[in-house]
Amino acid sequence: MKEFSATINGSPVTARDGMTILEVARENGIDIPTLCYSPELTLTGACRICVVEVEGSRTLVGSCHTPIAPGMVIQTHSPRVLDARRVTMELLLASHPEVCIVCDKANMCDLRKIAADLDVGLPRFRLPKHYFPMEDVSPYITRDMSKCIQCWKCVKACSEIAKKNVYGIAYRGFKSKVVVDFDDQPMDKEVCRDCGICIPFCPTGALCKPSPVRQAKTARPLVITGTAQQ
Amino acid sequence: MNSTAGDISAEAKKRGKLLVLLEQAQDKLGCLPKEFMARLAASLGLSISEVYGLATFYSFLSPGPSGRNVIRVCKSLPCYLKDLLIESVKREIGVGPGETTSDGRFSFELTNCIGACDQAPAMMVNHDVYGGLTPEELPRILERYK
Ligand code: FES
Ligand code: FES
Repeated sequence: MKEFSATINGSPVTARDGMTILEVARENGIDIPTLCYSPELTLTGACRICVVEVEGSRTLVGSCHTPIAPGMVIQTHSPRVLDARRVTMELLLASHPEVCIVCDKANMCDLRKIAADLDVGLPRFRLPKHYFPMEDVSPYITRDMSKCIQCWKCVKACSEIAKKNVYGIAYRGFKSKVVVDFDDQPMDKEVCRDCGICIPFCPTGALCKPSPVRQAKTARPLVITGTAQQ
Repeated sequence: MNSTAGDISAEAKKRGKLLVLLEQAQDKLGCLPKEFMARLAASLGLSISEVYGLATFYSFLSPGPSGRNVIRVCKSLPCYLKDLLIESVKREIGVGPGETTSDGRFSFELTNCIGACDQAPAMMVNHDVYGGLTPEELPRILERYK
């Protein structure tokens, strides 16, 4: 495999053919936030939280899906990049319900963690929210689509890893939603028995394991690391 | 990444067929009943979620029943800026976007760009495109569709 060099945040890095900017950055200990990306799934490029600045490029590029090229000069935490990530996060939070206090994932979800790292508090924008009834019929999975940010990870985990294709993406624009069958009843599929593969992929509280009430929370608590290095 | 070139092409074939089959059914049946989508999913080896997802994405496919003729008024930006059309169609047929007249003659829908931006505001009735519309022309156009 061909090796070449590029520059990230002023330091030279070595990359190999076929690697994305994100992969090279992570290999070099640079933390770029991601929501829709997972090394176990095919690329989506939907959330735009991973954008970086590439010298000579008119726009910011998604680092998770942009291949790195020889001699590329990349900034992962420049003011322009952080601004863009903050606005993206504000928009995501603006249409996300303000129910963290009673959410099963509470302060332990990726969305909150990245928002905290980016110093994003209450969003400035007043956007309509999507409210959907809680789907808690299945003993294997609880779905609350009001919290979904449409990263597609559950859809892909189900089709690519579990090979079950339970989910689809339906409708368009503001109305688009991850659906099960005809989207006319709460999710409760026999094929989901003892599977749960999609649940840990969810970056919000939209997918949870049904848990008995008053049970202790076992996920790691939110640690604010403050990666905003300028 | 875990999809090899081999299964991508086999999958793509199934999915490539899906849109064509949905379009044909839409033309023939005027809508896409659930039973039809469920059978189609089973015969292509796809999940219902996926078929339903595609059917609800395109404004030219409609899961619900529609009238004998479908009016689609473009609501993308160039047409939207010149818009008088939605109100005029509404006045003409008596129902708003998303509705069907009680005699089943017309369904009224809004659609994304139909590639007639140079003739904005534009609309389609069934497969016919009408551009540069003024409210006065509407009755004469709609008369042709029984
Ligand atoms: S992580 Fe790159 S676009 Fe979502
Ligand atoms: S915007 Fe109406 S046809 Fe393109």
